[in-house]
Amino acid sequence: MAEKGQTNVEHLGGVVRLREQHEKVVKDCESRMQHWRKVSGDYEALTDRLQTLPDQLSYDIMVPFGPLAFMPGKLVHTNEITVLLGDNWFAKCSAKQAQKIVDHRMKYVKNELDDLSKTMKNFEARVGFAKDLETISASKGDYVDIREEVGNNDSALTKGKQRIAHKPNSKPKLDVVWDLKEEDEEDEGERGDGGSRKGVMTEEELWARLDELEKLEELQDEQDRLSDNADMNGEDTSSSSSEEEKEAEAAPPVNGLSLKPSWSSISDSKAPLSTDRKKDDEEEEDNCLPTIFFSHTVEPKKVRINTGKNTTLKFSERKEQKEHSKRKKKNGHNNGHCHHELHKITTPADIYRLFVDVKNGEPIPRKSILKSRSRENSVCSDTSESSAADFEERRMIGRSFSHDEHSDTSDGITEEDSPTTVPLQLPSRYEAFSGTVIEKDPMPSAVPHLTISPPALPTILERKQEEVAPDVSPPQQLPKRVSKFKAARLQQK
Amino acid sequence: MAEAIQKKLKAEVEKYAQMQKDVSKSMSARQKLETQLAENNIVKEELDLLNSSNVVYKLIGPVLVKQDVDEAKATVAKRLEYINGEIQRYESVLKEMEKKSEQHREVLTSLQQEFQKAQGLAAGKV
Repeated sequence: MAEKGQTNVEHLGGVVRLREQHEKVVKDCESRMQHWRKVSGDYEALTDRLQTLPDQLSYDIMVPFGPLAFMPGKLVHTNEITVLLGDNWFAKCSAKQAQKIVDHRMKYVKNELDDLSKTMKNFEARVGFAKDLETISASKGDYVDIREEVGNNDSALTKGKQRIAHKPNSKPKLDVVWDLKEEDEEDEGERGDGGSRKGVMTEEELWARLDELEKLEELQDEQDRLSDNADMNGEDTSSSSSEEEKEAEAAPPVNGLSLKPSWSSISDSKAPLSTDRKKDDEEEEDNCLPTIFFSHTVEPKKVRINTGKNTTLKFSERKEQKEHSKRKKKNGHNNGHCHHELHKITTPADIYRLFVDVKNGEPIPRKSILKSRSRENSVCSDTSESSAADFEERRMIGRSFSHDEHSDTSDGITEEDSPTTVPLQLPSRYEAFSGTVIEKDPMPSAVPHLTISPPALPTILERKQEEVAPDVSPPQQLPKRVSKFKAARLQQK
Repeated sequence: MAEAIQKKLKAEVEKYAQMQKDVSKSMSARQKLETQLAENNIVKEELDLLNSSNVVYKLIGPVLVKQDVDEAKATVAKRLEYINGEIQRYESVLKEMEKKSEQHREVLTSLQQEFQKAQGLAAGKV
């Protein structure tokens, strides 16, 4: 405010001077105009006189004799007028000619008057404006100068504590994400690009944020649709948020994770951000707690994955993402695997179909795609024991929670459904996975979590799972936002 | 050292002041010429308006001297040309003076800086 006041004072001084100058000009114009008006008046009188003068041959007048005396005299040669042409030149003319000259001069005077009046108007306007400016600068009067500091936003962004208005049920996990991000950068200190990333990311963050918000909306729509269809609003949202959590956790680079290269390779700092955000968008539910909810499990799991660090949901999410990406990949073009069709995911149910555990030689549909029956089947290649264990634990916990909360019908469905061979089931609840998932296979596993918004899926997968090579399925799903369920229905039939 | 610079500075300042005066003089002369030009233009117009029947006088001192209309016209025209020429001359002179004054200004500023430095040094020494 002090600065403002100071600037205001400076402005005020300048404005005052400006106004004074303007007023000077206006005064000058005014005086000149007065002069010209007088001249014009004189000329008019002269015109009158010239018209009447030749009426008589001579007039009896009182001739001024010096400054104080008059003398009776006669005015003769009433038609002979000596006209001053300027610069000591005279011309003798008749009254009519004089009249012409006078008219001519009158024109000139009028022109001058008009110009002066225009100028005066201009400067009067300027004076008025300067006055207003003065009042504004002095912070008096009705006008208030609205000034916004530009720097705040940047600082907020860089801090990562930006609060952005989200759609309902879409509380931003920005804090988490951002914190993770910061942790990322801390972790990635060795990478060297952390700092630069941070500095670079302010704008990119903004853009990424925008993108994420957009996708969030899409995801939200998708969620709503899915939830309506599945009659499991809570689950969907919960699962989505859980997915979001996982994704958020997965976002920060985990040293030693196989996904790490994919993360680090993402030179575009947007990528992790956007992926985080996308998953945030997808599952913007529970912001207070980092929770993981799966959209396709019956039980929304509240999995708080603490890998020993500050609530970084690192590994498990990555794991899940990997799984997803692998599943998706599997669905897509399985690196030459022939069960392309089987793993083709066109509906959310397909995902569950893919989550098949092979037990005793038989593919058994898994209840939860998060859960891996065997660790070796885990998608994440670099499964550190602790993290995996934690992940398992949490999933168990989550399962228990979810069981309490929701019915097991969908579980039943998932159990019943055969693995990959079963055509796409489109139960009313889309979270039901109708098949078992062979986790070890490279599958585009991210699909189930991200099914809510197919368009978003591909991008997330692509970005996050570069090594897992999400390709066909994402593009598949991208254009088929509408036809996915149609296709599922078709398949079912 | 500082004193020498000071003296130099003073001399330069005086020169600069002189230059400024010259500039202003030229300016005023030019302005006068401009007014004369305007007036003569009016006279010319008026003379053109007149026909040859009426008589034209020129005021030389207290005497009105009769002039021929054509002569008057010619005279006025010549005067106009003369005034124009004068104005141009004055303009060129003015330009040159401006340039010179600019150079002088630069010299002045550099001298001032030196002087300040010297003063600073002297103060430091003292």
